[in-house]
Amino acid sequence: MERIRIAGVGFLNAAPLLAGLGDDPEVDLFVGSPAEVTRRFAEGEADVALLPVAAAIQLGDLELLDLGISSAGPVRSVVVVAERPVASIERLVLDASSRTSVVLARLELAARGCPALAHPTPALPPDEAVALASGATGALVIGDPALAVEHRFPHVLDLAQSFRERTGHPFVFAAWAARPGAFDARTLDRLRTAAKKGLAERRAIAEAWALERKLPAEGYVRYLEESIHYELGPAERAGLLRFAEDGARAGLLPRATLRFVGETAPAKPSVDAILDRVVAGERLSFHEAMRLHDEADLFSLGLAADAVRRRKNPPDVVTYIVDRNVNYTNVCTTSCKFCAFYRPVGHEDGYVLSREQLGAKLQEVVDAGGVQILLQGGLNPALRIEWYEDLFRWMKGTYGLGLHALSPEEILHLAALESLPVRTVLDRLHAAGLDSVPGGGAEILVDRVRKNVAKAKCTSEEWLSVMRTAHRMGLRSSATMMYGTTDRAEDRVLHLLKVRDLQDETGGFTAFFCWDFQYERGTRIAPGDHGTVLYLRTQALARLLLDNVDHVGASWVTQGPEVGQLALRFGADDWGSVMFEENVVSSAGTTFRMNAARIEDVVHAAGYRVTRRNVRYDHLDEPH
Amino acid sequence: MKSARFDEIAAKVRAGERLSEDDGLALFVEPDLLSLGALANEVREQRHGDRAYFNRNVRLEVTNVCVASCRFCSFAKLEEGHPDAVTMTVAQALENLRGKIDPAALPTEVHVVNGLHAGLPFSYYEDLLSALRAEWPTIHRKCFTAVEIVFFAQHYGMTVDAVFDRLIAAGLESLPGGGAEIFHPDVRARIAPDKASADEWLDVHRRAHARGMFTNATMLYGHIETYAHRVDHLLRLRALQDEAIAKNHPARIQAFIPLAFHPDGNGMKQLPGTTGIDDLRTLAVSRLMLDNVDHLKAYWVSSTPKVAQIGLAFGADDVDGTIVSETIYGAAGKKAPEGLTVDDLTRLIREAGRVPVERDTLYRVVQEHPRAAPEATVKLRDRRQGRHLQVLDEV
Ligand code: SF4
Ligand code: SF4
Repeated sequence: MERIRIAGVGFLNAAPLLAGLGDDPEVDLFVGSPAEVTRRFAEGEADVALLPVAAAIQLGDLELLDLGISSAGPVRSVVVVAERPVASIERLVLDASSRTSVVLARLELAARGCPALAHPTPALPPDEAVALASGATGALVIGDPALAVEHRFPHVLDLAQSFRERTGHPFVFAAWAARPGAFDARTLDRLRTAAKKGLAERRAIAEAWALERKLPAEGYVRYLEESIHYELGPAERAGLLRFAEDGARAGLLPRATLRFVGETAPAKPSVDAILDRVVAGERLSFHEAMRLHDEADLFSLGLAADAVRRRKNPPDVVTYIVDRNVNYTNVCTTSCKFCAFYRPVGHEDGYVLSREQLGAKLQEVVDAGGVQILLQGGLNPALRIEWYEDLFRWMKGTYGLGLHALSPEEILHLAALESLPVRTVLDRLHAAGLDSVPGGGAEILVDRVRKNVAKAKCTSEEWLSVMRTAHRMGLRSSATMMYGTTDRAEDRVLHLLKVRDLQDETGGFTAFFCWDFQYERGTRIAPGDHGTVLYLRTQALARLLLDNVDHVGASWVTQGPEVGQLALRFGADDWGSVMFEENVVSSAGTTFRMNAARIEDVVHAAGYRVTRRNVRYDHLDEPH
Repeated sequence: MKSARFDEIAAKVRAGERLSEDDGLALFVEPDLLSLGALANEVREQRHGDRAYFNRNVRLEVTNVCVASCRFCSFAKLEEGHPDAVTMTVAQALENLRGKIDPAALPTEVHVVNGLHAGLPFSYYEDLLSALRAEWPTIHRKCFTAVEIVFFAQHYGMTVDAVFDRLIAAGLESLPGGGAEIFHPDVRARIAPDKASADEWLDVHRRAHARGMFTNATMLYGHIETYAHRVDHLLRLRALQDEAIAKNHPARIQAFIPLAFHPDGNGMKQLPGTTGIDDLRTLAVSRLMLDNVDHLKAYWVSSTPKVAQIGLAFGADDVDGTIVSETIYGAAGKKAPEGLTVDDLTRLIREAGRVPVERDTLYRVVQEHPRAAPEATVKLRDRRQGRHLQVLDEV
């Protein structure tokens, strides 16, 4: 018999629900952070998960069990701490570990008219968040760290209590969740037995937990026995629905389509109804996005994406940037299967561009009125961080162009090579002239796919965490998606959701670009069935899902100028950049090129005005 | 955006009513591209469901010497003796084809179009046809545009019917759709002043239909013509087809093929060429206006395979064939590949969400291909998309 794959959160408050599951030979139990539990479940690595409710709502169309984690009063483990009354804080530092609490914090603070709302700062590990909480800055702290810091601050807003006071309902943090039909008798039996055992043993669990940390036990016993409720009855369900409603109304969550085991599934909305809602500004869940992917026709998707594009950006203006993609080295240790560009270390065709070669390229950009260099390359172990620092200083000093450089993969490579934290690498490069980070190397942010295309590639979480760090420093970046290798529709939608989640946290992504893998000799993935219809559909779906990303760019370099023109009707408002050269894609067979005059002609012919932009998408001239 | 005018036209289409000249013009200027495409797609799916046709064909151009001087033409108008002038003997033509034809997988069609060569005897064309018939009796001979037929009649002093009599006897089976360009005299006089007029072109096709020869029809758009000229062109073809139906002719226009103008290497290189948007709009309007023509071709050589693929959602149901060697568009700077394999074409069609159907010249089904890629080529399969993906070297 197959083992039931169960994922649960490693917080103390979840322990009673997991009691004994780890020893069950029929259960494959994973225990980790809420984010990792969510990732495993979303990517199909777990059948059942103790999901934070916001994650369950994001995924949509799940069944919930009447067992979870809720609180009808103060919960103590989800708090905003501050040195002044919470309603008057001006900045809120978020704890990275739970989206549910982040949404709850934003809702409760908004209800108090707190100005911190508009600009939450990127999430930090809890200790860093707490360290920043002073003066006008408050911190959202979640889970066990919250219990440890509650006495250190004069002002503590218990969010569950705040929710209770505001709505009259208890707050549900997490619940056992599964895809429809996955709660079979065997699974239900396991989960109920575990809860029964765990609830009876709450005192022992709390004491053991405290003992391990050499802390007094009594507070933790009270926490498990009194603060947390594990049975989700009608009151808890009402609270869950209220939270979902408020979250959807604030644009933080999609409309909930959850139900409890035994309840009949609500009637499926039509695809047109989903499209109408997203055009009106509602968020899509994973499930709704999949329905659009599978069922919406090309035209409805395009029209909806166009409507969103018109709402977000001047309807008749298309931007482009005059910059140049310079691949400073083709030596790479990674050997991605879709890449025809790299050469292994020691290969006779390996190169590193000299200052003369680089200088000539940069001068051409200056002469062409360009504003930026997009600098990317292979992961070349011969190039140390000092080499980059020198290069950046020289480039900035000599040519004064914006420096959009080094994808997360390259930054991680440098961090590993130098044994430095990512933050330090970015700080040093930033000091040397780095202005923004390109979104390359994202491919598909689902680890199964990443492993298929390149064993050595960074994980999706690593990629996202580099972006999180960069955004936190105020560096902006683009987000990309290269599909058509070994990804399924689910993977593409999950990728988009991960971008949307991080964007909720940081606001650091300026734009999104997608394209399909370009087959050519030298790549080691067979050409798949993707093509231009899927491209337009995918881009349109991205425009609909990424409600918090301002811009979508047409990938004419891979799709050709004619399809690029069409892409402008499928959600894109940007034409990307002029092409001096683009080695990674062009070695894989794509040869489309355009100079600025040609771009303007092509955009005009498509019926739009055109304007140049910089990396932050500021217009550099009057649209014409 | 959608307008009341568009809604009115859409209602007519759905009621099966014929669109007027004014409707055609409105379709070019009024609706947004996607609403227009959705309407054309309704009609396309009513006629053909999810099917998209292609064939396996080879092309032959025996001469690029031409007495005419069409301004859009980058292919011919060379004089004999010009260094780039090529005129094949019949033996050379056969040799050329042997190089393109795989005897183990014979194509179903040979498509022959040429410049208007003043120095060849009429028997040359008869010899060519009978040699093709002798060597490959099963390959359908779709040869000579109406412009060439008119030229033959004038140059060799025969009636069109006499030309047909002799060519059919030699093996001609159907007519390609080329040479139509833009029918309207205001445009035709400027871009193709010295070849068959609109009436002559239409007359050749009328006579072909009357004697049981199926034909295609084209329109070269995106140069100096207006939308009104395009609509006029479509209406003339619709009237011709009406006539074939009314008179119960044994043959008709089978397919309409809009051809995008490409500006390189010809007398109109100052023009910008078409946009992807215009290419699709033209397909869609053609589908809606030509209510009596069965097939609409998104000719991948003209529009690039990438746009042709999307064309299958904007009214087109055919992408033309595998085409080994296409020198005419190649000369106009088109970057489409020279030939596509059956695998390329079926993939192109599947990617567009359609079912590939191989047809012969007369649209008889040769082979229905499966909607998904054959199992044998699949290692990792995306069931939801019917997409096949293969990692070539599992490390
Ligand atoms: S895609 Fe980048 S990381 Fe992968 S092999 Fe090519 S150069 Fe190296
Ligand atoms: S289009 Fe035909 S008739 Fe005109 S010049 Fe070219 S080959 Fe001759």
